[in-house]
Amino acid sequence: MAERKQKYERRQVLDSAVADLLSNMEQKQIEAQLPRREREKKARERIKIQSRREQRATYDLPPTLRQRVKEMAEQERLPASQLVTLALLRFLQDYQGGKVDLADYKQSSHSPRYDWNLSLPEELLSVLSQKQRRRSAPKLLKEDS
Amino acid sequence: MKIIAFANQKGGVGKTTTAITLAHGLALLGRRVLLVDLDPQGHVAFGLGLEKTPGLYQLICLETPIERVVRFARTNLDILSSDKRTEKVKRQITLSDFRENILDDLLRSTHYDVVLLDMAPSLDVLHINGLVASDWVIIPTRLDALAVDGVKEILLTMGEVAQRGHIFQGYGVLPTFFDRTTRETLVQFKEIVRTFNTRVWPPIPQDTRVREASAYGKTLWEYSPDSPAMTGFTENKMNLGGYRQILERMMEVLNG
Repeated sequence: MAERKQKYERRQVLDSAVADLLSNMEQKQIEAQLPRREREKKARERIKIQSRREQRATYDLPPTLRQRVKEMAEQERLPASQLVTLALLRFLQDYQGGKVDLADYKQSSHSPRYDWNLSLPEELLSVLSQKQRRRSAPKLLKEDS
Repeated sequence: MKIIAFANQKGGVGKTTTAITLAHGLALLGRRVLLVDLDPQGHVAFGLGLEKTPGLYQLICLETPIERVVRFARTNLDILSSDKRTEKVKRQITLSDFRENILDDLLRSTHYDVVLLDMAPSLDVLHINGLVASDWVIIPTRLDALAVDGVKEILLTMGEVAQRGHIFQGYGVLPTFFDRTTRETLVQFKEIVRTFNTRVWPPIPQDTRVREASAYGKTLWEYSPDSPAMTGFTENKMNLGGYRQILERMMEVLNG
């Protein structure tokens, strides 16, 4: 059987700024052609997205920690963001109150950007492998007791 | 040394403003820059707040040494200016031997890191001299059909120059006077992206500060460093286009 010749095409990569601008302009043009109600809805959605952008942050976390936060949020039926906000506020409270000393975890870094890395001790990481404790449901009725 | 030409056979597309802004930008970054005005209108000197002088005429017709005809414009930035006597330069070049390489030979003997050529919107012997001297060509264009046609024309001319053995290291198409609110801008922008693809550089927004700056004889770095023409459009906290971003692209070109 004759071997089929595979055709390869060189990928063209647009300048990222050109690509972003073009896609934004195309999106706006599509929106401009929508009926008034949908245009207004899109505008509201855009404002909502823009206002939430201020609240967003990206950090690298161990996957197990991320999974644990997700499970806990599901169990407690809470938004994961609020759970993380509470955890960070509690940490800051402890840090400011002198209950947490970062010096205990600091190790010098080889990176040109940072002087230190945090080395997390096993005892702290073991929290992630422990089974999640399920809180008992609040007693609402007399029969529950 | 790298020689970069700003060319489009259509006039009024922002060649001189782009050349002046990027020349001063490079100078501010510490590069030793020579900006050569190949246009008899002499607007490079005017835009920098200097008198027009027949520098190019003195260099080529009177054979005055180049170091005596270049003028200080800003720290690290010298100019070789033009005036109406540049028309005589064309006649002189036409009568010379090896006429297409005259400018290249003169410029390569200088000590500058970068030489920028502000080309006239014409197709003549001086224009060909500029292209033959260039390693890179930046083609500013408005987003209208006539200017975009001018881009194609300059590329045809570059093709002819290349056929005679000259090797261009690259070229970029720079949309200028960019008004993203009009449908025609989008149509023309899509057209040039489809045609020139990766060669299209981020656009320069339409900005009245540009006209004001040249009226005062100041560069945009001096007159309005944070105006839209400099910083570009803001989308999702990112700056898209503008001369600051183009300067970064220029540095990539210079650093190979």
